[in-house]
Amino acid sequence: MMIRVAVLFLFASLAACRSLLSPERPPNPPPESAATAAPSGAAPPAAAPAPPIPTRQYRLGSAASALVAQAHTRAAAGDYPAATATLERALRIEPENPLAWIELGRVQLASGNAAQADHMGHKALGLATGDPNAQAAAWRLIAESLRARGRNEEASAANAHADLLVPH
Amino acid sequence: MSALGLVVIAIGALCLYAYYLDRTVTQQFQGRRWTLPAQVYAAPLELYVGAPLPISELIAELARLQYRAALKLDRPGTYRRQDDRIDVALRATRFADEVRPAQVLTIVAGAHSIEALRDSAGQDIPILRLDPLLIGSIFPTHGEDRIVVTPADVPALLPEALKAVEDRKFDSHHGVDPQAVIRAMWVDLRSHQIAQGGSTLTQQLVKSYFLNSRQTMGRKVREALMAFALEAHFTKSDLMNAYINEIYLGQDGDRAVHGFGLASQFYFGKPLAEVDLAELSLLVALVRGPSYYDPRHHPERAFARRNLVLKLMADLKVITAQDAANATSRPLGVTSRAAGAYYPSYLDFVRRTLRRDYPESDLTQEGLKIYTSLEPRAQDDAEQTLDRELARLEKSRAATSASLDGAVVITSPASGDVIAIVGGRRIGYSGFNRALDAARPMGSVVKPFVYLTALETHRYNPASIVQDAPVDIRMSNGTHWRPLNFTRQTYGPVPLVRALAESLNQATVAVGMDTGVTHVAQTLQRFGLERAPAQVPALLLGAVNATPLEVAQLYTGLANGGYRMPLRAVRTVLSAAGQPLKAFALELTPIAQPDVVFEVDQMMQQVIERGTGRAARTVLPRDVVVVGKSGTTQDLRDSWFAGFSGSHLAVVWVGYDDNRPTGFTGAAAALAIWSRVLASLGTTSWSAAMPDSLTEVSIDYLSGLQIEGTCANADTIRIGVPVSTQLAKMPGCIAAAAPSLAERLAERLRAIIHQ
Repeated sequence: MMIRVAVLFLFASLAACRSLLSPERPPNPPPESAATAAPSGAAPPAAAPAPPIPTRQYRLGSAASALVAQAHTRAAAGDYPAATATLERALRIEPENPLAWIELGRVQLASGNAAQADHMGHKALGLATGDPNAQAAAWRLIAESLRARGRNEEASAANAHADLLVPH
Repeated sequence: MSALGLVVIAIGALCLYAYYLDRTVTQQFQGRRWTLPAQVYAAPLELYVGAPLPISELIAELARLQYRAALKLDRPGTYRRQDDRIDVALRATRFADEVRPAQVLTIVAGAHSIEALRDSAGQDIPILRLDPLLIGSIFPTHGEDRIVVTPADVPALLPEALKAVEDRKFDSHHGVDPQAVIRAMWVDLRSHQIAQGGSTLTQQLVKSYFLNSRQTMGRKVREALMAFALEAHFTKSDLMNAYINEIYLGQDGDRAVHGFGLASQFYFGKPLAEVDLAELSLLVALVRGPSYYDPRHHPERAFARRNLVLKLMADLKVITAQDAANATSRPLGVTSRAAGAYYPSYLDFVRRTLRRDYPESDLTQEGLKIYTSLEPRAQDDAEQTLDRELARLEKSRAATSASLDGAVVITSPASGDVIAIVGGRRIGYSGFNRALDAARPMGSVVKPFVYLTALETHRYNPASIVQDAPVDIRMSNGTHWRPLNFTRQTYGPVPLVRALAESLNQATVAVGMDTGVTHVAQTLQRFGLERAPAQVPALLLGAVNATPLEVAQLYTGLANGGYRMPLRAVRTVLSAAGQPLKAFALELTPIAQPDVVFEVDQMMQQVIERGTGRAARTVLPRDVVVVGKSGTTQDLRDSWFAGFSGSHLAVVWVGYDDNRPTGFTGAAAALAIWSRVLASLGTTSWSAAMPDSLTEVSIDYLSGLQIEGTCANADTIRIGVPVSTQLAKMPGCIAAAAPSLAERLAERLRAIIHQ
């Protein structure tokens, strides 16, 4: 028993040391070029390193959550302008929360505005530093917005980014 | 022809005329629709647990919405405070996206924020909006403004009061009260002029609705015939409702206040349904002469007439003597400022926005409801701050007789909402709107865009050393341009961050010329400058005109991680029936790399911490991070400051309308206003996450040399530079002890546990 614990500890220490001593940061994909005219899905990552260590986890507060729930109801009923207005209220309360931007992007996508959904996905990505779950959600939104415009290869690349952050 | 024949012809003609009038009146009145000016609303205040809203602000907002403190919440529009708890009987309200029924709400608020929110059953409510404040209406040039009310909106006492005071036989006459006419004629004959009224409510309605105001005998006859015709075709309650909506009850500049619905808002700031007996009596008193009895200008006349109305009602047993006596002792209770048209500068922007999509007639006639982003609290604070600080500045310089003026624009950068516009110093005055129309040279507020363009070339980073040395540029016409620093000193090699923070002209021109004036001009257009700026070297120091609103648009991209979004005053337009017609949804356009924008923002942070914006630190809370840039133009004609926090972006301009020198730099005048505006907003820190392509390093602010360990005489700042940037190290530093392996392991384990 003692030996097993010792071995486990040794492994854990080694793993920790390895990542500590490695000069590279966790391989978060850099935010995509926002200035390019048509935000393109980045090239698929060359290797598949381990998912990054989260340093934070975004959540919506209760007020914004209630608004998001209301927006979902409205969007499900096809009332996208009302859903958008509701999400903008959430965004005014938590403008720095990537999850609010992702929700707004999803409604944009559902209402047929794929380009805006793409921009909002990238905006969320920029805010989501340190939160692989939020980053993955942003990449998946970007992927869907690309697929909606028939840009399937770029969409797959964006999905690959998401998978890398939060493996299925 | 016999006399009989003449009489027959005359009677026949009169009958024909009466028939013609009958047709005209009936048709016009049947199809009547009042022209309904668009009503404009401010953003409703959002209430939720944690909302940064101290109880004092909450009470102030309720007062703004004309909620009345009461012991019993017996009707909507009242509230009751017990220590930190407020119970509010909310009015039924139409928002842009839903209608909320009247309901009772309990709010527990502390000194800083809302702590609980419950419905009447004691259930927690996650979020709820207060009513949106009506801030004005867009009325046509002839100035007729009104809010139409239905009989359900009218206190039952109002028709009774009108009958008691204006037309006691209303319920029984046929449009004309012969006794009253004879009495009036007798008075007119004795005084040799037509002065006495004697008109029934129906006649007054005819006069206001169909006729001009000239008093002639022929017109009197016509009025009587038309009143008769109306009575024959419409019910008494129809006519009473029309009267209540039609009659003229006050004047506000160009705006004519028609109908009791608007009059109630205009004098008391609340819906007609909520007026009490004393207020209702004052409105009835005004029918006889809205300007003669104007309660704001002639309170003593209004007071006497109101009490006469109360006495008449008591005499006729419409109200009890006791109620009349109680109401008689009440003050007039009119609000100090006319409700609506509070914020002409903001309404001006709303009107301009809407004119792009709607013909003027739709705005002035169709009863549209316009929901805007105006935050009355921010607007009020900004108006007062501008006036107070300008007065202080004038005093400090014993300024000339001409009045120093200015403008303030405040936005919420994440959404592009414009939350306040102050177009000048005179509050509530709808004159020259400096925020929208004063296009002035930008001066140094242009510099962040010069540096952003330089960083985009990837040949510069915030720690790059640039030379601040005398500049001599030979222009195409053979002249030389030799701009100096404001201090007239030369600083030699400085890091980019310091060149921006201290607004060094020579270093900026060097960087800008190296980057290319054309590229800088393109950057400005990318960020939203609509006119193409002249591509001359002086552009680098702000030789390009922009209005405060345009500067706010340009800075939005900087505040927003490189996304442009159109600044919006209007969120939604609803039809009179409440159907959504147009929504101005949030729209993002990527215009710059987030990492480059982050670098510029961090450099602008040093403007406040160490540069020309230092004075802001004495005004703002120590822990609130803000970023910004000052601007001063030639001979101190314009004083600018533009910048933002996490939640607000503000642009301030100070100058004279005739463009004479002010004697103030951007740091001296505009910054004083800017920092106080931001402080009063209770704003949050600028805290953008550093993009992964950057890494934070310590450099010496003065020299730009990298600091490792402890360096004597270094002024250390932490700043993001592109990963893999090689910086020259500051000599003579003592290497700090590297964290031990144990320390690093412990930190790593903490991270793993956190995960």
